[in-house]
Amino acid sequence: MELNGGSVVAMIGKDCVAIASDLRLGNQSVGVASNFEKVFPVNDKLYYGIPGLASDVYTLREHLRFRVNMYRMKEEREITPKTFTHLVSSTLYEKRFGPFFVEPVVAGIPSPTPLDPHPRPFISTMDTIGCITTPKDFAVAGTAADKLYGVAEGLWEPDLEPEDLFETISQTLLNAVDRDALSGWGVVVHLITADKVVTRTLRARMD
Amino acid sequence: MALYAQPPTSYSVPTTAPIEHRFNPYSDNGGTILAIAGKDFSVIAGDTRQSEGYSIQTRYARKVWQLTDKVVLATNGFAADGNNFVKRVKQRLEWYEHAHHKPMGLKSIARMIQTILYGKRFFPYYVYNILGGIEEDGSGAVYSFDPVGSYEREACRAAGAAQSLIQPFLDNQVYFKNQQPAPGSAPFVPGNLPLSTILSLVVDSFTSATERHIEVGDGMEIYVVMNRGRNTDDLLGPGILAESMHVEELGALGEGGGEKTFLVTSPLKRD
Amino acid sequence: MNSVLSQLQPPAPHLGLDQEEDEFTSSDPSAWGSMGGFGNLARNGGVQGMSIPRVNDPTAFLDLHTDNMSSNPEAKIKIAHGTTTLAFRFQGGIIVAVDSRATAGSYIASGTVKKVIEINKFLLGTMAGGAADCQYWETYLGMQCRLYELRNKERISVAAASKILSNIVYQYKGMGLSMGTMVCGWDKTGPCIFYVDDDGQRLKGDLFSVGSGSTFAYGVLDQGYRWDLTDEEAQELGRRSIVAAGHRDAYSGNTSNVFHVRENGWEFIGNYDVNELWYEYEVKKKAAREAAAPAASPMAVEA
Repeated sequence: MELNGGSVVAMIGKDCVAIASDLRLGNQSVGVASNFEKVFPVNDKLYYGIPGLASDVYTLREHLRFRVNMYRMKEEREITPKTFTHLVSSTLYEKRFGPFFVEPVVAGIPSPTPLDPHPRPFISTMDTIGCITTPKDFAVAGTAADKLYGVAEGLWEPDLEPEDLFETISQTLLNAVDRDALSGWGVVVHLITADKVVTRTLRARMD
Repeated sequence: MALYAQPPTSYSVPTTAPIEHRFNPYSDNGGTILAIAGKDFSVIAGDTRQSEGYSIQTRYARKVWQLTDKVVLATNGFAADGNNFVKRVKQRLEWYEHAHHKPMGLKSIARMIQTILYGKRFFPYYVYNILGGIEEDGSGAVYSFDPVGSYEREACRAAGAAQSLIQPFLDNQVYFKNQQPAPGSAPFVPGNLPLSTILSLVVDSFTSATERHIEVGDGMEIYVVMNRGRNTDDLLGPGILAESMHVEELGALGEGGGEKTFLVTSPLKRD
Repeated sequence: MNSVLSQLQPPAPHLGLDQEEDEFTSSDPSAWGSMGGFGNLARNGGVQGMSIPRVNDPTAFLDLHTDNMSSNPEAKIKIAHGTTTLAFRFQGGIIVAVDSRATAGSYIASGTVKKVIEINKFLLGTMAGGAADCQYWETYLGMQCRLYELRNKERISVAAASKILSNIVYQYKGMGLSMGTMVCGWDKTGPCIFYVDDDGQRLKGDLFSVGSGSTFAYGVLDQGYRWDLTDEEAQELGRRSIVAAGHRDAYSGNTSNVFHVRENGWEFIGNYDVNELWYEYEVKKKAAREAAAPAASPMAVEA
């Protein structure tokens, strides 16, 4: 985790979720790239972030892309955030004794179904071998995790409207990575609502 | 034959590893401290839990100490070192007062703490110190130290187990980092927050840290040092403090220059 | 090695290595009398009572419990570390520029550290390595320089001042001090820079950079350095070098402090936000690129 650095945070709001990551890729103390996104889309209502070892970030992303595509073809429907979380989890546990060095965070809004016409926004996070936690407020991961916990605990409140959630997650990530030497170098935020996803790149500290 | 060349490992491997004996005089007793300076006051706070590993040794151990009428010291790290350190600082302050017939000033205490800490450069005190109080010019001040005595004057500082949780929050709320004033409104002035705002930031910081860090909790002690002649209504007035909080004025230690120190106590979650 | 060293060396004036120091039983009235509160200074001006753990190998003890940039980053006692500093001599004197970040592991402990220590009106010292080591000994150096002035009725030379410092750190060699410092000032010989570090090395030179970000600073510094730089150009070069280091090196950044040493002493030029400067330079770089690239001309193609 400390080789490349990087952090991800996700938060729940009122009928919306947000997920954000920093953009740094480093080789220990040396910054190498400032365009290394750690958050990827599964579909237009489901995103996930994987901070950790950069090579594993790419490998796992391709693994998951393959498995989500197979799911899509077999089931002829989109994967739900909850199912996707379990997919990620079992993918990680397959490597129980030689794990991927990543801590994934999932954020999405489930589509309404006859059984569940008003689904709630969903976030989840895992450790390196796939133990799932599904918080009702926010999930953090990466080298700035402890800083993110502190700021998020101070700023987050229930039922934030989309724009307020955007401000909260942005301030949380910006201020957390400013106290972490291995994260930063730019920040990207994805705000997911039922009808659209808004992606913004923020002017962050570059030192 | 090679199969028989090695005996089964189960009974041939010695079961006792060599026992290591080395001098380990340090322990980490958790907890967190925090100080914020205002224009003419200073707030110094700490939680009261003392722990070792996953065990709580006590739910009330003092980490914040009133040194003089205008100076308060918070210590964090290894409690035994902290207590001994405070004892030495207090003795030196007493010697100084006998020699000079006046209490030592804040910036002199800061420098003295540096020399005491550095005196143990090769056998350090495992203590992080934050010193808060009123400077000679009447302004609120905070000094923070590392274990071997490097120090710096600041407007706010968190130290200890939950420093990494609290400090970025304070950067945002006290220094207005990553914030811009709305177009047309007045610019932010760091270090000029009203006492009521600072008190709620301190309370929020500790409740957040209690929520997410196992070594923080049980209770907190907030010392408020006010410059002489300052109005106390924004601390003692009705509706300022929450129901569960308790405030008392601490009497003057010396002859009393008019500065006032208040101790605000509040419970924190005990789980 | 250390035991051989201690047999060969005379006891240092700063150390009470052999006498077991106990403040509470000390009979010297300077400890509690009119000098009470003078820290750990003895009456002769030396440093009194550096306490040493009673173990066979004090250095190994310190190494075990502190994270002195080396073998044991997981140690409990995190000592604040300094990072990118530079100083260079040029036609108009000396430019000293430093960053302001202190890290403990990957946590940024402070972004407002003063890494230039004002020894006196004519001397500056920079801080890299252990913050306390630099702060403490350079303050102490300030006292020794003042005593020199009072005794000799003239200001100390940079060479002599830096030698006081290097002699001090040499006495503690191998005991775990961590400092890489540049002593900068103006004396009878003109502007002068000495590099002094924890293993006793002392070098005179025109251009130095010290710390984890020094390689990045050197890159900018070397390509822009000339003796006949104007004052403004030199200050800008110092600033630009620190920004380059602050950008690439994770353990450098936040703000840059720039000082200019001239014949009549040093002057504080300013405190600059490394991040704001970085964005400024990016805008300028972009403008320069656009100005340099000729308007998209159709490529000549042979018929």
